[in-house]
Amino acid sequence: MKLTKLLRNGAAALAIATAAGFAAPAHAATVSLVETGSSLLYPLFNLWVASYTTAHTDVSITTTSTGSGAGIAQSIQGLVQIGASDAYLSDAIVKAHPDMMSIPLGISSQMINYNLPGITNLRLSGPVLAGIYTGKITNWNDPAIAALNPGVTLPNHVIVPIHRIDGSGDTFIFSQYLAFSDANWASTEHFGTSISWPAVTGGIGANGNPGMVTALKNNPYGIAYIGISFADQVKAANLGEAELLNKAGKFVLPTAKTISAAAQSVASTTPADERISMVFAPGADAYPIVNYEYAIVKADQPDAATAKAIREFLSWCVQGGNVPTYLDKVHFMALPDAVKTLSVAQINKIK
Amino acid sequence: MTIRPFRLLVLCISLLIPAALCAVVLFLAGYAGQAISFNGLHFLWDETWNLGDLYSDPVTVNGYTLPMGAEYGVLAFIVGTLSSSGLAILIAVPLSVGAAIFLAEAVPVLESRARQKLSWLPPIRPVLAMLVELVAVVPSVVFGLWGIAVLVPFIGHYISPTGNGYGLLATAIVLALMITPIIASTLYDALLQVPKENRESAFALGSTHFEVVSKAMMPMVRSTLAGGIVLALGRALGETMAVLMVSGGGLNMLPTSLFSPISTIASFIVSQLDSAESDPTSMSVKALAEIAFVLFVITLAVNIAAKLLSSGALNVRSRKA
Repeated sequence: MKLTKLLRNGAAALAIATAAGFAAPAHAATVSLVETGSSLLYPLFNLWVASYTTAHTDVSITTTSTGSGAGIAQSIQGLVQIGASDAYLSDAIVKAHPDMMSIPLGISSQMINYNLPGITNLRLSGPVLAGIYTGKITNWNDPAIAALNPGVTLPNHVIVPIHRIDGSGDTFIFSQYLAFSDANWASTEHFGTSISWPAVTGGIGANGNPGMVTALKNNPYGIAYIGISFADQVKAANLGEAELLNKAGKFVLPTAKTISAAAQSVASTTPADERISMVFAPGADAYPIVNYEYAIVKADQPDAATAKAIREFLSWCVQGGNVPTYLDKVHFMALPDAVKTLSVAQINKIK
Repeated sequence: MTIRPFRLLVLCISLLIPAALCAVVLFLAGYAGQAISFNGLHFLWDETWNLGDLYSDPVTVNGYTLPMGAEYGVLAFIVGTLSSSGLAILIAVPLSVGAAIFLAEAVPVLESRARQKLSWLPPIRPVLAMLVELVAVVPSVVFGLWGIAVLVPFIGHYISPTGNGYGLLATAIVLALMITPIIASTLYDALLQVPKENRESAFALGSTHFEVVSKAMMPMVRSTLAGGIVLALGRALGETMAVLMVSGGGLNMLPTSLFSPISTIASFIVSQLDSAESDPTSMSVKALAEIAFVLFVITLAVNIAAKLLSSGALNVRSRKA
């Protein structure tokens, strides 16, 4: 008796508090959405949500940073409405959950950085990186590295390959670059957000992109793969950025030009479900490690109001929100127009 | 028979904790069941851990569906956990015994005249004791940050022959700092509880201060010391974030030196969980639950061993006496 009264009072108090919290609305119903997943997309979602919800007071969106795997798992289970992932859904997941969609929201890329005193113009290729990360190439003056860098005096020093310990979209696209350009890696290590890294003497693992920057700074003669969002930190730490061999046989740095070249070359072949890798894309100027950043969303939502709110928010993300004002802060690039159309077509399936 | 409501209530409440523990264990064992029967016992002495190719179609091995190339062996993580925690205890015990004895016995006491002059000074002993206890409540991630910003570069520059600071030694030192105050403050409290008579009788017999502490006081607090070490070991075995930041995340290899990268069970579970969640067969998460179960068994074994040690059941000398 007493308990129910207490509960009722509590609920009433909560309702009042909630109403006070979201003051303004003239519409009675507020739809709440939850986004979780990729820590790379998290800062971008925060920028987007802040702008979007000031204009759309009938929606409240909570953003959380957990990891791409959690974004995928929780959106499948229906715990969150929007999962954020650096990687698209695998065929097996799509087969098991046909109503799950991978919708690109932006384009990111990755740098290969090194800490080599006195050297600023290093060139590397997928097979050489695969050799370094499997322990076949152990010294900086190895003939395979020297062959890519004529005229550069490479130090006679052991290489310290640094990889991510935690599951990561960066590991996903890095291992894809190795798998797509080196047949040996493809057959032994595959690609994925966690790799069973071969035991390389001197190799170390670091936690998160900030941990990668610190580890590379702490380890002269080290090499690491770091998400482009951390370009400023890498620059501040005075670390080198390698030119990578692309599919066309050219060495390229990740710049606005080379990243959009990769995006353009994949735009025309992107299928309707948009699950495609942009890694090692064709094109003379295409940078080889580029990827779509995805929203993982269920097409069948429990109610129409939620579905409408997700549709409107994501449509804004890939159109009105897909501009440098937001994207530049995390060093992302906007989607090509053809891909925006595909994303909108997928978003419209959310019912 | 009369019903005693108070006793019944207290009984129910006291049963809650063991019940929760049993529920967790049963859940872990049940959830990991498929992985346990698939992996068999060689799970414990295989060095290779591979989640497999989560992006190709799952395969069926011996009737179990799992990602292609998946292989689960946890020897490296068991060795990493035990070696880092063991080393941490080796570093922490002398430090904390020293600190506790200093606090209880050797804190300088000012002469009364000096005391009067320096009356603005706070009493030294309680302030120092409080400081030691304060260190025990510093969140582990703070130790991790200190490790990555100060300790790792230091080891890399001055100690490690390869120039790499991440690994077993850095992990052990960070863990040791984290657990020293736990042992020290338990021991300090126990030393204060030693009856005045024992201490003074030892002095009366002509013992030096060192002998008083080592022969009259330490034997009385032995079981408390063991208890403190177990508490500390529990924290070291289960520490996650700080370890993840400085361990170097060794995979598929056993540590060969103090500077080898390692992974501990707890930190490894955290680092793999996100990828495991995107495994359509969910075998990866089950295998992680199996490692968690192994960690639970290790912790339990450590606790039981310590209980036996401190109760004297394994101590031949005390049984004879």
